[in-house]
Amino acid sequence: MTREPAISVRDLTLRFGAVTAFEGVSCDVARGELFAVIGPNGAGKSSLFNALSRVYQPDSGTVRFLGEDFLKLRPQQLAGKGLARSFQNLGLFPTLTVLENVLIGRHHLMRAGMLRCGLGLGRAEEQGHRHAALEALEYLSIADLAGTEVQLLPYGHQKRVELARCLAMEPAVMLLDEPVAGMSSSERADMTELVRRIHRERELTLLLVEHDMGMVMSVAERVMVLDFGVPIVTGTPSEVQADPRVIRAYLGEELQAA
Amino acid sequence: MRAFDSRRLALLAGLVTLAVVLPFMLSGSTLTTATFVVIGAIAATGLNVLTGYCGQISLGHAFFLAVGAYTGAKLGQDKDLSALIWIPAAGLIAAVFGAIVGPMALRVKGLYLAIITLGVVFIGQHVWANADGLTGGPQGRTFPAVQLGGFDFSPGKQLVVGSVTIDSTGLYYYLALLLLAGATLFAYSLRGSRGGRAMIAVREREAAALVMGVDVGRTKVAAFVISAALAGVSGALYGSFLSFAQPEQWSLLLSIQYIAAIIIGGLGTTAGPLLGSIVIFALPSLLKSLPFLPEEGTGGVSVGTLSTIVYGLLIVAFLVAEPRGLVGLGARARTLVKNRTRTSPVSPHLPEEALT
Amino acid sequence: MTEFLQLAFQGFSLGCTYALIGLGFVVIFRASNVLNFAQGAMLLVGAYLISWLAVDVGVPFLVAVLVAASLLTLGGAGFQAVVLRRVTGQPPFVIAMITIGAGIALVAGVEAIWGPEQRLLGDPWGSSSFQVGGVTIGWVKLWGIVVTAVAVAGYFAFDRYTRSGLAIRAIAGDEEATLSVGVPVRRMHAITWGLAGALATLGGLFLAGFPGAPQPTLGDAALRAFPAIVLGGLTSPVGAVIGGVVIGIVEVMTSGYAPDWTGANFYAVAPYIVMIAVLLVRPYGLLGRAPAERL
Repeated sequence: MTREPAISVRDLTLRFGAVTAFEGVSCDVARGELFAVIGPNGAGKSSLFNALSRVYQPDSGTVRFLGEDFLKLRPQQLAGKGLARSFQNLGLFPTLTVLENVLIGRHHLMRAGMLRCGLGLGRAEEQGHRHAALEALEYLSIADLAGTEVQLLPYGHQKRVELARCLAMEPAVMLLDEPVAGMSSSERADMTELVRRIHRERELTLLLVEHDMGMVMSVAERVMVLDFGVPIVTGTPSEVQADPRVIRAYLGEELQAA
Repeated sequence: MRAFDSRRLALLAGLVTLAVVLPFMLSGSTLTTATFVVIGAIAATGLNVLTGYCGQISLGHAFFLAVGAYTGAKLGQDKDLSALIWIPAAGLIAAVFGAIVGPMALRVKGLYLAIITLGVVFIGQHVWANADGLTGGPQGRTFPAVQLGGFDFSPGKQLVVGSVTIDSTGLYYYLALLLLAGATLFAYSLRGSRGGRAMIAVREREAAALVMGVDVGRTKVAAFVISAALAGVSGALYGSFLSFAQPEQWSLLLSIQYIAAIIIGGLGTTAGPLLGSIVIFALPSLLKSLPFLPEEGTGGVSVGTLSTIVYGLLIVAFLVAEPRGLVGLGARARTLVKNRTRTSPVSPHLPEEALT
Repeated sequence: MTEFLQLAFQGFSLGCTYALIGLGFVVIFRASNVLNFAQGAMLLVGAYLISWLAVDVGVPFLVAVLVAASLLTLGGAGFQAVVLRRVTGQPPFVIAMITIGAGIALVAGVEAIWGPEQRLLGDPWGSSSFQVGGVTIGWVKLWGIVVTAVAVAGYFAFDRYTRSGLAIRAIAGDEEATLSVGVPVRRMHAITWGLAGALATLGGLFLAGFPGAPQPTLGDAALRAFPAIVLGGLTSPVGAVIGGVVIGIVEVMTSGYAPDWTGANFYAVAPYIVMIAVLLVRPYGLLGRAPAERL
């Protein structure tokens, strides 16, 4: 019996007024797969991620997520269903400490309500989750930063904190939106290795949006190429790299940029 | 929860001791001022949860204070119930109104929410001015003195324990202090746990909070409810301590005083609401003692006018120069004393989004 | 019918004043996302300056108005240049709170200088009026309508045909992009505050006209203009003018026709009830637009 894909997207379309972010996107991501979405600037990659985390509401199409009708869920339920994501421009809470940011990742795993929290009755629960959050920080070798306010950290460290938070959410599916964007080449190499390691050790389904071709081709098992909001090719890295339509899409961009 | 080092603990113990012995050090009118400060700080602590933690801008605090005060009057005086009932009931009824107003924050954001809550104050004042049976109409009404078992808080009454005598003002002071301690502990525990973190997440990045599984709507409503409940308790005590109030007292200016208090004290901090309340609610009597002011009622600039000018300017000065308020100033002073060269990062605990 | 027409005229005239006030709010808001809670204080200061110049100093009324408007223009621009410039980039809430602080200090300052009693405005119209078909037309109300029409037309001409107007519209669209093409954004912000000061002076003038008078509570009218700008949407000048007129008419009609059970002075809160209802249905006002969501 083949298992149902982790994510199954059919004919998904998102428009902002007259502007189409993406249109007719279909793909299946198997459980445990590392699947990358690439494409030139403005191809709709991040919009697709935003639709897949319900920050945007798609206009048409269907998404099945671990066997459930994804679009029927409310956005705040997704974390509990096993979805975690990072943001292209960081989705951290700047005035909270690193540890607190990671603890918010475990919000959906915790139960204490406002009243219990105020009365100090959530302490025991808090202790356990604090432990798990510290573990996630240790996994990414940033446990020493736990007490630091996030806004005081350099960008590269903030990216790591966000990844730690994703891990602490104990997700089944993780969406990483440009994890190496804006990094130095050594930071890129570290982050690439981290992503590979997380995928290997944590039995996660990983979706990746990334600009850095080197990174995508080295870690992804399958790649979908978007151009102007439309998927043009889906296949293994080597298939995609050899496809003339992909070359044209990227070359076109380079010609325009020149 | 942030670790308590021994110095902080000592400071806290010192402050608590000071707060407890204060009534024996102050003259009658100064103790009255101190009591208003402590009563006000309860409501300021509530507003700090809503605005400081959760980033929701409300000009409606005066409305919730009034709801608490009139609940106290209705139950404590008209129905003659015990203060053990009407004080909690004031918080509860105000919380219910908070749960009614709160969901508006799900529809409108930022400054639009400020305007809506402004409307709540005006509509409230209209209702108070016309609901004669509840509020006495424009002429106002009396409020019940607290009766707690054998303790009678009515003016002129005293509590004698051995060689110690506490007058009614002192009793109000201690009751308010007890409730303020509870409110502050509640806010402090909240800040260090799941609920408070969710509020700050909503304040700083709503979309990201949603992705973390934070129910943004419920969090905002909860903040409104907590804030309103504390305002209700504070309002009931305030009415009772004043013993008489008119509908026009629950005005926008009252709301602004509470906002001023939490900004001047330090938004989102634990000590901020109390520090700010000391500045705002002690200001009139402080100014009254200035030598160059004319006697009340002899014409010239009144104390009320002067204190309004001063705290208006304080709001401007703090927001421009030290958005973290007195708590931030304290942190700066400590840094100076320790002579650290590293400049302290200015991180105003302020709502990031508000009509961007 | 005569009563209806009388109320309609009064409502329209009051609505024009609200339109002036509302325009003052919108001018600032669309350029810098600042909701100026000090607008009421500004119009109070404007009315008192006119009164002081015309009555105490004794200059001709028109001169008093022009001098007061100039002072308020300078004051508004100066406030932006000296105070608000320092908090550029802070959340709108912070800046709104600064204007609240400045506003209450200004109102109390006016009371400290001129006392709590109402004053004479020193205008040439006073309570004089004429009759048209049984409807009493107060000269000051008529002038209020005329001046509003001229000021609104002037504002739209400025917005449409001057370089500064174009620059301010561009800032409203995208501040960073406008800055990057060399528009002096700060100066434009100061200009909007100056404009708001001038509009506030005119609003204060006609609010203080008969049967009103310069008195410390005059600025509260600006709070009653909030429903107007919210109905119109904080970013829409046209909306502010239409919203202002509508609110003025609603207010006066309510004062004439509200049933007894609504209580005394119901007219003062009726606009707020309408506003809350509208906001709950359309969170950014009737003509306003939702800010683009950024992640």
